[in-house]
Amino acid sequence: MGRKAITSIETVVRRIEQAGPGIKHLTLEDPDEWELPPARPGAHIDVHLPGGLWRTYSLCNGPQVNTRYEIAVKREAAGRGGSAILHDNVEVGHTLGVSLPRGGIPVPSGTRHIFVAGGIGVTPFFSAASALLHRGERDFMLHAVFRGEPPLAELLIPLRDQGLATLYDSTTSRPDIRTIIGPPAPGTRASCCGPAGMLEAFDNASRDWPEAQLHIERFVPPPLAIDPQAKPYTLVLSRSGITVSVPAGRSMLDAIAECGVEVPTSCGGGICGACKVGVLEGKPLHHDRFLTPDEREHSVLACVAGCAGGRLVLDL
Amino acid sequence: MRHLHLAPRAFLPMREVAELTLVAGIGVEGDRYMLGREAGYYSHLPEEGRQITLFEIETLWALKRDHGIELAAAEHRRNVTVEGVPLTHLVARRFWLGETLLEATRLSIPCRHIEEVTGKTIFDALINRSGLNCKILQGGIVRTGDPVNPA
Repeated sequence: MGRKAITSIETVVRRIEQAGPGIKHLTLEDPDEWELPPARPGAHIDVHLPGGLWRTYSLCNGPQVNTRYEIAVKREAAGRGGSAILHDNVEVGHTLGVSLPRGGIPVPSGTRHIFVAGGIGVTPFFSAASALLHRGERDFMLHAVFRGEPPLAELLIPLRDQGLATLYDSTTSRPDIRTIIGPPAPGTRASCCGPAGMLEAFDNASRDWPEAQLHIERFVPPPLAIDPQAKPYTLVLSRSGITVSVPAGRSMLDAIAECGVEVPTSCGGGICGACKVGVLEGKPLHHDRFLTPDEREHSVLACVAGCAGGRLVLDL
Repeated sequence: MRHLHLAPRAFLPMREVAELTLVAGIGVEGDRYMLGREAGYYSHLPEEGRQITLFEIETLWALKRDHGIELAAAEHRRNVTVEGVPLTHLVARRFWLGETLLEATRLSIPCRHIEEVTGKTIFDALINRSGLNCKILQGGIVRTGDPVNPA
């Protein structure tokens, strides 16, 4: 098994445009312009960067355009280095792996939408606004707060000119979020994306609102496939002489793979038996629908199994 | 044959086409699992029977009827959707798919990957009716509407 599994969507950087102070607007497409996996309005993707890093960015294009993922990346001087790599090392024509899109800004029809955005946090609302306009709905207002020059002006200014966006330069006046969103009203939703301070202010300003009419955009980690009640444990690969800590909810199979030990895998859901591994010590938690009671005494399907105690020794 | 689909790389949506070109011993031209392309989610685990995959349209109807799940033919991610062909009975047998000759190697098993790609909870509902894996003995072009016949 020399070949590695494909774990991301292969995209090519088709365009990079300067889109405001320290902001680059990147357009990613399939190498053959094939349709990309669908996204909800304002969804986000993980972008795998050269060097093994990955960072999460909101899509700024509407999901009705299914051949492009557009993201806007602000260079964060004090960041962890992801944005700097995208700014300095990624060029048109480069290949980037991305994840399936997750999350998004809920934009149900027949609803008035109040979007509150801080700085580069405006990106998912361009996607949401685009989706609404595509459906012929114009009952929304994007309130964009920024410092100095507006981010993504080529998208923001046309919305302002149509009366669909209000711009606030916080160097001259800081808007009051409570005034922007007003009291809760039936058929109205308020959503916010921005820096932590703004999310907190939005949270405070929307205390009287029903939860179902609010959305605070936080990047959602990929869902855990494994039982969330699972506990951490120590995994020992006996023949390889490797001991590794497995955090709660982490897949045993992933933990084994990270040690560089290969176990065949196929369904990932505990029914095919490809990843059956011998157990030498410890009490496993079986979540499969494959092993017989006898087999359960001395083996696990690593794709779904956990550990009932603190330590599990595998015959690997 | 009711629907024909392919995708050039892992994760990408399947695209419906009017015809597929089957190459004996290799796979479906332009599809991610064609030998030499190796662009599929499972390509790192080579398998002879993954040259072409089939699926029963009746399973889509049953998912709707029994589970209220709308699954489109593009979403099951197999190449060929057939009607009135009991795929389970074809394991280890040869049969004609239009002008091409296939040999079924095993039943397909569902995978968690399909829930990730479709965003639908269908893993359990697809157990034992997730399609058929085949190798291509004689290639050719197959078209929607072509018959499936015993060899």
